[in-house]
Amino acid sequence: MMSPVAECFVAFIFGSVAGLLMQRSRFCNTAALRDAIMFKTYRNTKAMLVAMMILTIGFTGFMSLGAGHPLQFDVGLNTFAGLFLFGIGMVFAGACTVSTWVKTGEGNLGALWALLFTFVGMFLFSLVWSASWWPPAPQTMTGQINAPALQLGFANAQTLGQKFGVPAIVFGLVQTVVLFGLYRAILKREHAQRLEHERHELEHARKKAEKAARKAARETAAKTTTAATEPATIN
Amino acid sequence: MEFFKKTLDPIIALAAIAVLDIFMFLIMGAWTVGGGETMMTGLIAKGMIGDELERLPFWSIVFPVHGDYWKIYISLGMLFGAFVGAVLSKEFYWRVPRHLSEWVLITLGGLLMGFGIRLAYICNVSTFFGLMPEMNMGGYLAMSGILAGAWVGSLIYKKLLEAE
Repeated sequence: MMSPVAECFVAFIFGSVAGLLMQRSRFCNTAALRDAIMFKTYRNTKAMLVAMMILTIGFTGFMSLGAGHPLQFDVGLNTFAGLFLFGIGMVFAGACTVSTWVKTGEGNLGALWALLFTFVGMFLFSLVWSASWWPPAPQTMTGQINAPALQLGFANAQTLGQKFGVPAIVFGLVQTVVLFGLYRAILKREHAQRLEHERHELEHARKKAEKAARKAARETAAKTTTAATEPATIN
Repeated sequence: MEFFKKTLDPIIALAAIAVLDIFMFLIMGAWTVGGGETMMTGLIAKGMIGDELERLPFWSIVFPVHGDYWKIYISLGMLFGAFVGAVLSKEFYWRVPRHLSEWVLITLGGLLMGFGIRLAYICNVSTFFGLMPEMNMGGYLAMSGILAGAWVGSLIYKKLLEAE
């Protein structure tokens, strides 16, 4: 076990490197989802998938050895509902929790404003939860297991592995293959978009050339007619 | 330095972050954002109203307020790293949203994010970079929630853009 101060130090170093890399690469989690949905562009989506593939192999690999600290908490419909609201919110704010910090670091006051209201939203939730002790998931939030029907959050590659008697990495590799399939599909789609774009460019260039040719033809025709009529005007 | 002149390929950036995150998973836990912000909210509230805060069960049962919670420092680190990156690459400048409508959307977005994170108990980072790679079965439910939300949000956003 590490001391809390050492943990904070490691976290700060990790955060600093991540913040620097995200600032330099303009990576944004919100854009990874929003751009794919709204604009059919996948710059950030591809990066997210690559990170997920690396993490899946790394996490499940170490989980096979019994190492690492996986997340464990109850999951229920509150998870779906909460992240649904979060998904809408991040598109509205144009930034998720990560990019609000990164963009604030770049001097974006809108992002800082979003961050402040994230705090307000969290405080509002604490009021709602405290008022009713929120019946569907009270114990879940204290880290104790509750509602046996909704134990999804305690089932991960490691527990599945123990249940089926196979190492966690086996599940990890299956998921990595699926993620890679998605990544490949995006590459194919981008290729098709590029071809379409080139076809449009060619078409445009051809039309432009045709127009120029017609214009040139008209000009030469006009010149020859003036040339033909010139002697007449002299006379 | 070349690093501060050109935009980095996000795939390289995210791959590097992923490798570092695996190390952090081994010693403390995977990268999450949201817990730190909640603790900051608690610290700010405590600074404003003092021990009165503990009368709210949330702040004594779910998130007892203390400053040495490591997740706070991931977020502060991201702010610091991004600031250093922006200054060294001469990309730091004050950006202010111009229209009132933008401010309204940002405010609403922030509130929805904050409320949503705590209702769900996790945010998008823990979903995509924590739960999913750990193959937490709840991660798939979490992911479907966030995708549905982003989709609905994008539809509304598109409508608003067209209306302008």
